Amino acid sequence: MTSDHRLHPASFLFSIGARLRQQALPIVVLLFSAGSVGFGWQIWLLLALVPYTLIAIARTLTFRYRYDEHELVIRTGLVARNERHVPYARIQNVDGVQTVFHRLLKVVDVKVQTAGGNEPEATMSVLPVAAFEQMRQRVFEGRSRAQLEPTSKAEAGDVPAAPRAKTLLALSPKDLLTYGFVEGRGMVVIAAVFGLVWEFGMADSFVPSFEPGKPPVPTGGAFRGLARSVYSRAEDLFTSLAIAAVTIVALLVVVRLVSMVWAMLRLHGFRLIREGEDLRTEYGLLTRVAATIPLRRIQTLTLREGPLHRLVGRISARVDTAGGEAGQNAPPDRHWLAPIVERHELPALLAQVLPVLALDRLEWQSVHPGALRRILKKKLLVSLLICLPLARWFGWWGLSALVVLIPWSMVSARWSASALGWAVTDELVAFRSGWLWRQTTVAPFARVQAVMFHESPFDRRNQMAGVRVDTAGAGDLSHRVAIPYLGRDDAQRLWRRVAHEAAGRSFRWS
Amino acid sequence: MDVSEPSPSVADGAEHHLDPRAVTVDRIAGWIVFGGMALAQLIALALVAIFAPIPLWVKMGLLGLVWPAAAAGLAWLAHQWPVVAHRHASYRVDDEGIEIKQGVIWRRVINVPRSRVQHTDVSQGPIERSVGLGTLVIFTAGTEHARVQLHGLDHGLALRIRDHLLLSGGGDDV
Repeated sequence: MTSDHRLHPASFLFSIGARLRQQALPIVVLLFSAGSVGFGWQIWLLLALVPYTLIAIARTLTFRYRYDEHELVIRTGLVARNERHVPYARIQNVDGVQTVFHRLLKVVDVKVQTAGGNEPEATMSVLPVAAFEQMRQRVFEGRSRAQLEPTSKAEAGDVPAAPRAKTLLALSPKDLLTYGFVEGRGMVVIAAVFGLVWEFGMADSFVPSFEPGKPPVPTGGAFRGLARSVYSRAEDLFTSLAIAAVTIVALLVVVRLVSMVWAMLRLHGFRLIREGEDLRTEYGLLTRVAATIPLRRIQTLTLREGPLHRLVGRISARVDTAGGEAGQNAPPDRHWLAPIVERHELPALLAQVLPVLALDRLEWQSVHPGALRRILKKKLLVSLLICLPLARWFGWWGLSALVVLIPWSMVSARWSASALGWAVTDELVAFRSGWLWRQTTVAPFARVQAVMFHESPFDRRNQMAGVRVDTAGAGDLSHRVAIPYLGRDDAQRLWRRVAHEAAGRSFRWS
Repeated sequence: MDVSEPSPSVADGAEHHLDPRAVTVDRIAGWIVFGGMALAQLIALALVAIFAPIPLWVKMGLLGLVWPAAAAGLAWLAHQWPVVAHRHASYRVDDEGIEIKQGVIWRRVINVPRSRVQHTDVSQGPIERSVGLGTLVIFTAGTEHARVQLHGLDHGLALRIRDHLLLSGGGDDV
């Protein structure tokens, strides 16, 4: 029963690899500069890795773990011995990540996470794949056994001995292509590639200057040279405008294409699996990710759809989770429930994941009718601020931008006002906003931590107020239940109701 | 599941103003800040007056009119603002939780259900200690309101509210 297990013998390689990656920049710089000057003192710097390698090997050799009846025991250290006991019942996640190198050696980087603290309880870098599966099995078995023992838990009776896995969602390559197309993530990749090209462009103009006799090339790399040669041939304004338009269209197409490729690589073989009280997601072609989301740790659900999503009738769903009693310190986690799913399949999916989140029965209510006027005022103010510098540069002609901006403000204000909506049921509060990218966030009352009623001077003048609902695990930039422009009485009632409902439900970590 | 409490319960569900001594505490703090700001302004203006190539009458004006006016304005603010803030601040405790109202221009009322209180602190700064006040700090698992403060309570009262909030035992057993 209590036999010791070790890490995979190749562990030290990954340990060194991680170290190298941390210091990738200095090393690259080192190699490049070595190219021009020849290897000299630089090579000695690499020797600095030798002691680290020895430490890594020692660490790999001394790392032991074993499965006790109730806990996972991890022993580390050569000189200073450390023995850590992690009860199965406390383990939240056993996550595995595989990069290409991991897959070549058939190993996996494993993180064991518990509710407490913001760091993984144990990082096992790296285990053989079989050992990972075994660990997962042992931990989940141990956990359901631990859950059966205490009588306090209501669900203790119906916990199955071995949770059966059920695939809730599997994305086909076609789905992934659609995902890449509608999300348009390509910009991020393009930016990265552009950065690289620019770097090399800089290098192009930089390296030849070392060679005597040749004048340094003034262009900054191939791309800019190409652009310049194309542009210099354009004689008149029309041609250059046409070139610009074609370039923009081509860029947009490339962005979408890159995004599709990115989606294929990143989310290859996406599967959402329910296993007892946990959700599991698996995805990735090069880097294979296997993450566990305990259902009880899900705090809020956010749905998101852009203009292209609506065109093809899809929607994407994410959940925010939070773990640990040190909730305020733990970084918020966002997990894909479904990167993309057909709109009409969403209710069925949610019903299988969290029956509490039945969105089809929501009765959306709109905000105060005066919201339109206030949004419009804001947009007009922004338009004016945009026009001021234009007027400064182009004189009165700069104000002609207002001809476009004012109607645009009016239209978009109307749309954003009508996109705002909120809903309350017996179990949850929901908020939606945005007309181009429409986002909907749902917070079950059992997850509400605090509720705020707030009114600004502008609110007061219009007899309005807002309500903000605070949950654990919400990131700074994430869409949250923060309802503005409510009628004052509505806001008061909603705020009291959410507070009352939240107070009536106990909140449990884990 | 409600535990009956000793007779003068803090959970009376009525809105209470903060302790009047809070005004004094805020005033002292305000005067300290004011003193620092006025001094910084004076130094900045003096530097301008010494080094800037501007006519003498402007320098006289800066030191003789602008600074006293700004300082007087700040002093008035330091003295009067705590009174206004005190008028707009209140709290309410009942069996369900605590409600804290704050803000003069941007007004907000935060409600923390009792079952969401992770832990609480009662702290006392040096000025608060000298007049017997305390600050109740409530920690929740939230993000925006992970830390909710109520300052300007009688120290004993703050302790009683804390006990009341924690009595339910919380629900954070992992």
